[in-house]
Formats: sequence, structure tokens, C-alpha cells
Amino acid sequence: MKLTESIRISWRAITGHKLRSTLTTLGIIVGIAAVITFMVLGGGLEQDVLGDINTEEDTGIQVVTQADTGFGGGQTQSVPIYTQSDVAAVSNVSGVESVTPSASLSAVQLTHGGETITGGSGSVYGVTASTSDRFESELYNLTAGEPFGAQNEAVVNERMVDLRNEVGGENLTLGDELTIQLQDGRQLNLTVTGIVDQNTGGGQPRVFAPLEYYDTSVETPSGDEERAYPALFVRAENVDQVETVKAALNDYLQNESAAAELKTDDQTIAVQTVEDAVDQFTAFLDQLQLFIGGVAGLSLFVGSIGIANIMIVSVTERTREIGIMKAVGAKKREVVQLFLVESLILGIIGAFFGVLLGLGVGYLALTVPGWPMVVPYGWIGIAVVVGVLVGVLAGLYPAWRGARVDPIEALRRE
Amino acid sequence: MSQTQSLSTDTVVATRNARRTYYLGEPVHALDGVSLSLPAGSFTAVMGPSGSGKSTLMNLLGCLDTPDEGEVEIGGQRVTELSDSKRAHLRGTEIGFIFQTFNLMPRLTAAENVTLPMVFNNDVETGRRERAEQLLTRVGLGDRLDHVPSELSGGQRQRVATARALVNEPSLVLADEPTGNLDTDTGAEILRLFEELHAEGRTILMVTHERQVAEHAEQIVHLVDGEIAEVEQLDTDASNKRTVTTDETH
Ligand SMILES: Nc1ncnc2c1ncn2[C@@H]1O[C@H](COP(=O)(O)OP(=O)(O)OP(=O)(O)O)[C@@H](O)[C@H]1O
Ligand SMILES: [Mg+2]
Repeated sequence: MKLTESIRISWRAITGHKLRSTLTTLGIIVGIAAVITFMVLGGGLEQDVLGDINTEEDTGIQVVTQADTGFGGGQTQSVPIYTQSDVAAVSNVSGVESVTPSASLSAVQLTHGGETITGGSGSVYGVTASTSDRFESELYNLTAGEPFGAQNEAVVNERMVDLRNEVGGENLTLGDELTIQLQDGRQLNLTVTGIVDQNTGGGQPRVFAPLEYYDTSVETPSGDEERAYPALFVRAENVDQVETVKAALNDYLQNESAAAELKTDDQTIAVQTVEDAVDQFTAFLDQLQLFIGGVAGLSLFVGSIGIANIMIVSVTERTREIGIMKAVGAKKREVVQLFLVESLILGIIGAFFGVLLGLGVGYLALTVPGWPMVVPYGWIGIAVVVGVLVGVLAGLYPAWRGARVDPIEALRRE
Repeated sequence: MSQTQSLSTDTVVATRNARRTYYLGEPVHALDGVSLSLPAGSFTAVMGPSGSGKSTLMNLLGCLDTPDEGEVEIGGQRVTELSDSKRAHLRGTEIGFIFQTFNLMPRLTAAENVTLPMVFNNDVETGRRERAEQLLTRVGLGDRLDHVPSELSGGQRQRVATARALVNEPSLVLADEPTGNLDTDTGAEILRLFEELHAEGRTILMVTHERQVAEHAEQIVHLVDGEIAEVEQLDTDASNKRTVTTDETH
């Protein structure tokens, strides 16, 4: 029997039972759609965060403190352990061009154009104090204006602009005056000089202010009271030196620095190049995708059992028809072929609509966080292969049952 | 002319002491040692009471079933020694089987039912409809090509089954009551078709309950309780027939 012929016959069997066929493929559709949706979301997030970061040409290295969470690497913590002496020592490491401490200021409220946005701990926005060097890194993408230069200037990110817009009234633009009330009672009057893109600032609306406003200090191991920062941004003199500088920083910070003594045991000092940060993020994303993909894969498995079940029912139901086909010359192999082609078609249809649905749902879901659409061609390929495999595997046993039908017995059935 | 001929090359089909037993608590001998040979090109009728084993015999000769004891030979080959797919091949190419219960595919149209055996014969897909139309016209159903079985009368279904049996130009035609559901006129039409098939040199075995129908054949095999009670030779001139019992020939 020719393949085209069995496709035609199987197609008729499928369309002859529209509802049943639809329900059967639904299991596969949902499974594959789930996989594709999550891959679209993951890809969108990745593209959104890493989009135009050129990891290989960046000379930036960040020093942060992480607590081991055991899932997807460490979670960054904000503890002031990098003292002024550490900063001085780090800037003397050979190959280091600059060191920029970074810290957050706890803001109580922020006022712009007469409107006030309340802050506080767990606040909807954050205020970071640092030097303007950080805006030279690839990680900071100025979309308008320039880095702050003087005391009373600030840079905001696009999320901050959005947050301001939500409140209503005036838009936040370059040259505007911001008034920030800090928890310790100080009031900062800042003029916006630049806007960085929305990815900057840990996904939160954020204001970047000059480091001078930060004044947290700690008692150093040697007994002095010194200013200390929760993070440092180090810039190497050139790209080729990034790795050696990183090694030297690690060596100093892990062993000799005040920070090494000030941190608690479950905290680690992480020295990361931009590439490391990107790698860490993608590793986290990969793990997440793998996990969700596994869950979705499980539903695919359930879907394949659905197909097998329907095919078995269908074989039983069509025993008489199988008997007729055998009586007029159908061989076992041909009966197997018919049923395999049928379940294969169901699998392919399931994969096709699953991919469409997954892309559609993924596309809609992306509009919520505003991530870009990245079509996961690789996963689409995998989904189609899986759909076909599921079809074949689910059809094997029913096909074998069909082939075993004894024509005489089958024809006896009413 | 001897009735139990030795298996010669021109013998298309033969059974030797074929026995088929069903066990339903008590063993039922549906066929109880039947020896019969159908020379190539012969036209034989089978008569006998209901339950006498006529359909069972047809199933054996049609390669659908195998005997529990004895032999069934087709074209000199023992059916029991053939592989499953060889038997399927014989069914699809050499044998045209008109079932007592028609056995049409319920979702296929008359034309599709007629050409169904071609699907399993690797026949070309072109020209099938013409072939179906030609055969259905021959059985008087040229205007029912696209009707599914549920839209056809019993007699029409029977004729679709007849057309299907002829689609692969079989050398052996097995017809289980091919006129059972037909009025006299349509029945006569079908019998004329069988006579044409006979004239074309095909071997025909036809089960019937009607004497006049059986008389179109060259011989009538009388089955009673799974045994051949009598083989009656008919002259081609139906008015002058003679009777020979199997016992005389043993
Ligand atoms: N699968 C089966 N299981 C049990 N008994 C069977 C089976 N098939 C046939 N028989 C028995 O074998 C005997 C012969 O059946 P068969 O169908 O050959 O009769 P028949 O001569 O064709 O009758 P009819 O004229 O009614 O069609 C019957 O007694 C029947 O009950
Ligand atoms: Mg019968």
C-alpha cells in the first residue's frame, strides 16, 4: 500500500470522528503550546535583559555580596562591607583604571512637579548612590542626556519615567528637578541630566545620585570607623586585562580585604565581569526553562497516553472494518501502516497547532512586561519532532492490536 | 467423470478431508471431513440447510480460515503452509469473495468499496473510479456510485459486494448466497453475470438455497451437517440432469 493512500484513508478516519480526533490532539496541543510559550517568554526576557550588551568588549567588573540560595546561583545582598580602605586597595591593583562604589539610599518620598511618590523599605523605587563612571559600562545604556557631573545632578531609568507618568501630571524629562527625602532626614534636590534604559536598575524604577550623598560607615576589623559600600564597580584599563584584574581582585578581596572579615559565613564575595553576570543570568534562565520545559514535557507525555488510549478504542471500534480490509487482501503490515499513519497525523496536527498556540500565547504574554518576541526556532523543531515521536509511539501498540485481528472473528461481529 | 478428482494442475481449488471444529463446551463440527475439488473454470453450486457448514467451507476456500484437520489447496499450494501475508495476497489477487453478510466498509461509498481491494494491491490510483463505475454498472448500480452502504437497500449492498469481488479480476469467485436478497429479475441479472464470468474461464463456487439458482451451475454439492451428502452433476442443458452420490465415487 502506498503512503499517499494510507494517508488518505487515515485522514478519512480522523475527519470521520472530528470530536474524538480534536480531543485526542488537545493533549498534545496543550503540551507543546506550554513548552513553546515558556520558551518564548524565556527568550523574550533574555533578549530584553541582554539584548545589546556586548559582553566581550566591556572592561567593567562588579564586586557584590551573594548569599547562597542553592537555586540558579547566589542572590545578591546589599550589605555594606567594602570599606573605604578596600576601595583604595582595589584601585591600586595593577590594571585597574577606576573603582566606583555603589550603594542605595533609603528614600522616604520623591517629589517632582508638585506630585509626591512615597518610598520607604520595600519601596516601588530605589535610589542608588555611585560615581558617574558606571555609566561607561555596557550594562548602562544612556538613552538620553548624559551622566551626572555635579553634586546636584541625577540620572533616572526609563522605569522611573514610567512610574512618574502613572502618577499623572507632568512628565519626567531631562532638566527637571527631583526632590528626594531620605530616611535619615536629609533632602536632596537633584536635576535630571540623563535617562538610562529600563533594564538598568534591577528591573525597578531607580534614581542614580552622586556618591557623596552616601554616608553609611562600619567598624573595620582594625577598629576604625570607615565608610563602607555594598557593591563596587571596577573598570580595567583595557579589555585584555579584564580576566587578570578579576583574578587579582578575587585574590585580594577574598583573603586580605576588610570585606572578607566583615561578611558573614554564608555570604560570598562575588567578582563578576559583565560576561560572568550574563553567564550567570543565562544559566539561571536555562535552569528555569529546563524546569518548566520538564513540566510541560510531562503534560506532553500525558497527551501521548491520550492518543494511545483513543487509538486503542478506535481499533476495537473498527475491528470489523479491519476484518473487511484483511478479507479483501490487506496484510498485517498494511493495517499497522494505517494506524501508525493515523496517529502520526494526529501527532503532527497536535504539534502544528501546539506551536501556533504557544507562539500566540507567548506573544500576548510578552506584551505584559514589554519583552521583545524571539521566535524559538530550535524549540519549534524539537516540538515537531516530539509530536511526531509521540504519534508513532502512541500508535505502535494499537497498530499491533489491529494487525492481530482475525478476519473471521472480526467479520462475525455485528 | 469422477467427482473426487486427484489434484491435477488444472485443479484450482480442492479440500481433502477438511474438518473445522468449533469448541463451545460441546465440539461443533461445522465441517466434518469434506473432500471436494473444483477444476479450473468450473461452476459449482453448494446447497444445504442452514448451519450445514456452507459459509465455513467458503471461508476455508477463501483463505480466510484454515482447517483443523485435512487440507485445503489453492493452485497446488497448501493453504496451511502459506504465510499470513501470502494468504492475504491470494485473497487480494486471486479470490473474489461475495460475503453472505456483504461486509462493506460503512464509511466508504459504493465506488470506494468496490475499489478497496486495489488499495492493498499497490494498484495505481488513477482510473479507479472508472473501474468502479464499470463494475457497478454491470451489477445495475451505475447510478449509486457515491452512496454509502447505509443509503443502499440490502440487495443493492449485495450487488456492491459482488462488484467488489470482481475488481481484481479473480480466477476464483466465491459467492455466498449472491442472490439471497434479490428479486427474481435482479437475481436473474446477477446470474447472467455469473454465467459471463464462467464463460471467461473463472472458477465459481456459489452457495444458494434456491434450486433454480443452483441449476445455473455445472454441479451441485449438497452439504448436510458438515458433510457432503451428494454431488449432483447437471448437464449444461438443465432439463437433462443426473444424480451421483459421493458414496458411489469413494
Ligand atoms: N465462530 C464460530 N463459533 C462457533 N460456532 C460456529 C462458528 N462459526 C460457525 N459455527 C457453527 O458452524 C456451523 C456451520 O456454520 P455456517 O455458517 O458454515 O453455516 P451455513 O451453512 O453457512 O448456514 P446458513 O445457510 O445459515 O448461512 C453452525 O452450526 C454454526 O453454529
Ligand atoms: Mg452461511
